[in-house]
Amino acid sequence: MASVAVRTGPARKKTRARVSTSTMIYVSTGVVLSLLFLLPLLWAVFRSFQPSGDITAAPNAKDLSHLTTANYSGLITGSIHILRYVANSLIVAGGTAVLTAVLATLAGYGLGRTRFRFRGSGAVFALILVTLMVPFQAVVTPLFLELSFLHLLNSLIGLILFYSTFNLPFGVFVMRNAFSMVPNELEEAAYCDGATVPRTLRSVLLPVVVPGVATTMLYAFLFAWTEFLGALTFITNISKLTLPVALLNVETGTFGQVNFGFLIAGAVIAMVPCAVLYVALQRFYITGITAGGVKG
Amino acid sequence: MAEIELSHIDKLYEGADTLTVRDLNLRIADGEFMVLVGPSGCGKTTALRMVAGLEEITDGELRIGDRVVNDMPPRERDIAFVFQNYALYPHMNVYDNMAFGLKLAKVDKATRDKRVREAARTLGLEEYLHRKPRALSGGQRQRVAMGRAIVREPQVYLMDEPLSNLDAKLRVSMRAELAKLQRDLNVTTIYVTHDQTEAMTMGDRIAVIRGGELQQVGSPTELFNRPCNLFVAQFIGSPSMNLVESSLRWEHDSLYADIAGQPLLIDPQTLSERPALRGYADKPLIVGIRPQDFEVGTADTQRHGCQLRAKVELVEALGTETNVHFCVDAPPVITDEVLELAADLGKEEAARVERRAREGRNEFIARIDPKTQVRAGDTITLSVDTAQMHFFDPATGEVVH
Repeated sequence: MASVAVRTGPARKKTRARVSTSTMIYVSTGVVLSLLFLLPLLWAVFRSFQPSGDITAAPNAKDLSHLTTANYSGLITGSIHILRYVANSLIVAGGTAVLTAVLATLAGYGLGRTRFRFRGSGAVFALILVTLMVPFQAVVTPLFLELSFLHLLNSLIGLILFYSTFNLPFGVFVMRNAFSMVPNELEEAAYCDGATVPRTLRSVLLPVVVPGVATTMLYAFLFAWTEFLGALTFITNISKLTLPVALLNVETGTFGQVNFGFLIAGAVIAMVPCAVLYVALQRFYITGITAGGVKG
Repeated sequence: MAEIELSHIDKLYEGADTLTVRDLNLRIADGEFMVLVGPSGCGKTTALRMVAGLEEITDGELRIGDRVVNDMPPRERDIAFVFQNYALYPHMNVYDNMAFGLKLAKVDKATRDKRVREAARTLGLEEYLHRKPRALSGGQRQRVAMGRAIVREPQVYLMDEPLSNLDAKLRVSMRAELAKLQRDLNVTTIYVTHDQTEAMTMGDRIAVIRGGELQQVGSPTELFNRPCNLFVAQFIGSPSMNLVESSLRWEHDSLYADIAGQPLLIDPQTLSERPALRGYADKPLIVGIRPQDFEVGTADTQRHGCQLRAKVELVEALGTETNVHFCVDAPPVITDEVLELAADLGKEEAARVERRAREGRNEFIARIDPKTQVRAGDTITLSVDTAQMHFFDPATGEVVH
């Protein structure tokens, strides 16, 4: 139908008109939906620049003239020391992202390349995927005992290990798909060119699976950055808290008197790295998720 | 520079119950261009990959130069492999693709640069050195794949259908270019293809493989003029050899082959070269005539035993030559070899061969002088170069000596 329309003048005009209508519907739906999702976020950002007293009051047009950065400066210079928690969270989330990516890449290489296929490798992969279905609340208690035995309670390293464990199944899944998409000849060409197995992985395969690595890291980072229950359970030393738990302390630490200004500014600070990372890695992220999806 | 020797090489894939390559013996001389040819799935690529070290050798011994390399990984064999899909590193530009092997070999930067630029000049890739493979055309990618092999200056080139992803026209020009390049560099080469034209035009020698077994090794003319069995006879040459079931009989001290009631004299010279033919008197036999060995003539009783009368069914004028299709009322030769080769050409060809078998029609093709005027429907007299006829045993498919 389209090819006919291209050849005849009036029909082509009609096609173009139809396309633009549907494009308009598409765009306006998109705008409405994104506004719907963005509004609470924009609202939070706006409120975080208001004096603490105004936040709980009903919105008022003259609020716009009373914007202040007091909440932020209070959080940073005051008794709360938010930068320490931001640093803790960055260490934990960054560590988790790196550790998960390294392990998932190696596991994905092993499971995704035909040359390493062994009897039962499919079952091993299925078993890894099954762990995705275990809700982590179900294993909090045994994990607590285990970390305690290993002297990893109240330790950022313990938290990194714990987060990595929970991110690995998905990471392995993504990386296995990414590796199984790479044609065998690419690897073989490297061997014939004189490369060893580790060198081939590093110089030839890894650059090709970068989208998968980016996806895995992003997922792991966001998980670790926003995780709450585990951090609350395994960290009691106030200097080791991560941002989500620290923000809870802002709320409850003052015995009823909640400083909403601090709370909302803290939430905005917590949002920033997620948004930046997501936008920066978005290009890889989409190819990483869809890679292998078609091939299975 | 090195000689390659395969002795009694077997390949059994895990889980398979038959050998993919069986008792392969082949010696490729230093600097020789050896083509492995056969229908798809015949084991030619497997054989090549075993030489490269990409596939384990189940049994037998493989030598490159004076080293037994059976258990050596590819990187120690000093070979370069050109893949069918080129397998260029997608994240590296043309320069780095070619330089990668040299970098791994710890060749110093100046030498590396010199060799890459030299290869680029030979292959006409100088303008593209900083492009990524995805920004290149098929022919350019193919050149980069060749360049990657050349710069390493290996002892052996191994090529797995490197031209099959190119369009027909480019394939022909690259064929000549590649063959010339190999002669200039004089590096021992094994080249795998399923295209007999490629094999005939490029190879110093050709090894025909069928079902994992070597059928015949020889120069292109040897294979064309003296095929050792039905399979090689059918596979080599285009259009392929006309085959017909026949029987031999004696008449006035001469042996004649009966082609649908028309006798063809067996040349005395042929008879003395192939004494076993005498044993086939009054027995079935397969006669093969190449399309080139026909010529349009006028009916002439003097030339009894050298002529066939036939009704023309189809004329294909190709300019440089004319292919005349005609029917012979003798049962077509339907052996495993014929069916296998037809199946390799595609479902349509297989169906056509089967249909002809059912109808008992045998279609011949004669390649004649394009200046000869022949129309479909004409009844013509064709002279046969009887000295060039081929004879095969119908039971074994082997040539009759």
